[in-house]
Amino acid sequence: MTETEQLQAFEARIARGEKIEPGDWMPDAYRQQLIRMISQHAHSEIIGMLPEGAWLQRAPTLRRKLVLLAKVQDEGGHGQYLYHAAETLGVTRAEMIDALLAGRAKYSSVFNYPTLTWADIGMIGWLVDGAAIQNQTMLAHCSYGPYARAMVRICAEETFHKKQGMEQIIRYTRGTPRQKQMAQDALNRWWWPSLMMFGPHDATSPNSAQLIRWGIKTKTNDELRQDFVNKMVSDFHAVGLTIPDPDLYYDASSGNWISGEINWDEFWRVVKGDGPCNAERLQARREAQENGAWVREALAAYAAARGEG
Amino acid sequence: MNDTLLARNVLALADDSLLLGHRNSEWAGHAPILEEDIAFANLALDELGHAQLWYELHQELTGREPDETIFFRDAADYLNIQLVELPKGDWAFSMLRQYLFDAYENVLLAHLVNSSNARVAEIAAKQRPEEMYHLRHTAHWVKRLGLGAAESHRRMTAALNELWAYALQLFAPLENAQALTDANILPNPRALQTEWENQVGAHLTASALAIPAARAPRAKSRSEHTAHLRELLTEMQEVARSEVYGVEW
Amino acid sequence: MNDSQWARYEVFEQERASAPHRNAGSVHASDAEMALGNARDVFVRRPNCFSLWVVPEAAVFAKTAQEVARDDWYTAPAADAPRETYLVFNKKGQPARETFVEYVGEVKAAAPAHALRVALETFPTQDVFVWWVAPERRVLKSEQADAASMFAPARTKKYRMHTFYPVEPIMRELKSAQGMLDNSEKMTDND
Repeated sequence: MTETEQLQAFEARIARGEKIEPGDWMPDAYRQQLIRMISQHAHSEIIGMLPEGAWLQRAPTLRRKLVLLAKVQDEGGHGQYLYHAAETLGVTRAEMIDALLAGRAKYSSVFNYPTLTWADIGMIGWLVDGAAIQNQTMLAHCSYGPYARAMVRICAEETFHKKQGMEQIIRYTRGTPRQKQMAQDALNRWWWPSLMMFGPHDATSPNSAQLIRWGIKTKTNDELRQDFVNKMVSDFHAVGLTIPDPDLYYDASSGNWISGEINWDEFWRVVKGDGPCNAERLQARREAQENGAWVREALAAYAAARGEG
Repeated sequence: MNDTLLARNVLALADDSLLLGHRNSEWAGHAPILEEDIAFANLALDELGHAQLWYELHQELTGREPDETIFFRDAADYLNIQLVELPKGDWAFSMLRQYLFDAYENVLLAHLVNSSNARVAEIAAKQRPEEMYHLRHTAHWVKRLGLGAAESHRRMTAALNELWAYALQLFAPLENAQALTDANILPNPRALQTEWENQVGAHLTASALAIPAARAPRAKSRSEHTAHLRELLTEMQEVARSEVYGVEW
Repeated sequence: MNDSQWARYEVFEQERASAPHRNAGSVHASDAEMALGNARDVFVRRPNCFSLWVVPEAAVFAKTAQEVARDDWYTAPAADAPRETYLVFNKKGQPARETFVEYVGEVKAAAPAHALRVALETFPTQDVFVWWVAPERRVLKSEQADAASMFAPARTKKYRMHTFYPVEPIMRELKSAQGMLDNSEKMTDND
């Protein structure tokens, strides 16, 4: 088969809803897009452990402590599944981690914001994991088998992440004056970063069309963002919280809640590394990697001495 | 009287597991490799779960709810051994501390499942499968770090030299605990210590680590704490104490 | 080994005694014993698991159906070359979303390619699109005697299940109360 014929056969498989598996022929651009997307997703999970991990030692009840630790552990596990999916495409985990620590790889910018109060933990669960679930539910149908399967496993585990956050925030909206204020303050700070999780507007999103053509995405950034806004506005209103968007209004003809404009200057600044916590997040990961080098080397030496590994 | 004495001993068990779990949770996101972020979090979740079981029994005996006991009690009233309040240190320190504690729990729980107190026996039976897994995990690590490379061996030696005397406090009984031993509720601490020393001694030797000479525990009384405990509790209790006890979180 | 992340081990998870072992993903580990523990911590946080196997990625000989159809991957072994047991796995069916590499059985062979050749003659090949073979001696299997400490603890951590958080009835109640409000309340957020 010529390259063109192979590409046509590949696209026909995708059109038929078939999964592309490791070892199958695939265009190099498909492979590279997926490596980029999946590794970014994996990095996001790992970095995501940090803003919440900072509050593990301050969880106010034993239940909250267990729940938050289980959530943070899951995030590590999700990163693990995703690195595996990327590894099936020919990149190693060491290469991906090196790229992250060298500042060459991206991860979801939402984690470059600080967690300032305990209520941030609940709000992250409701908003940020809520947004992630939406995205992941779509990706569970993606054309690349290992990524789709990782998404299915992640979606099943992630539901509790959102629900534990909802449970917290609902309680705080019915709690003491300080708790109510903490919940509203958390929403004020996390609303816009959550909307930014869906990426740039479709018109300015360079990869979207190809990703949709190859079955990696099935909805555009703006479509996903609109679904999210509709769901979240309805939910937050139900518990008496105010969305920090003075331009937000309900358009009866479309049935959509229409947002004000995202601050795209802030979006691009944070994506490019100038957010409140970018340096801190990467520094923590670099330290973990460096401090752990003697450990990894010791175990590698132990295995090598016994003819294993 | 027996109930109060039992309640104090149960509280001591609870405090040990709680604080060890708390220290272990500090590694989440900072472990040497991703698989250990996940594995060490598992150890922490198990220890916190074990603490919960003991605090629930403590509630049955005293009427005090677990969250009140955990978040609204000062350092002076905590009954943990100093071993578990120490900062996490490096990976060698945390892994070796967990190993020494896991070996102790395995020896302890093997006795507690036969306690004449049904609730104690029940709780021990629930914890035992998890502690068996812990010991397997941490024993593997101790061996690999002890034997693996010069630096890991050096760090493990330093960790063991620091930890050993703290670990010996595991076997210093609470005052008046003899009554509980006589009633077959708790095992004889001397017997526990002998079993523990045999097991860890053999494994540490096999891991090329020399048992320190210290015979006396760092502290005799569980009411005696280092400055680390107050620091730990200040952080741990910060959010809970921002409202009165009884506010739901 | 120069890789800062150790070697990769494929993980096979068997949910129940009656189900086949299925490739759940992989873990990085420095040796097989650690890989088995890592597999338990990564893949068995929630029920159910009955058995776990780990095998170094480097010990797996994998071919897609397309690759198998070409004749360039097999040479017959010497007649007196010693045989050993190989475990055989494959992935069947399209375009199902949840398709895994699953254990199908074992064969005796002198080398990986030989094992695959024997597997093709032994097991049904219809709709199979990936084959894996690995020598049994490189596969570390969890012991049944360890099941209580390896797998049962996953059941006790109910807070990992979304059913532990009954938020849906609360939200429904709140929203139906809201629904009783005038529709004009929905028009703007900040009044």
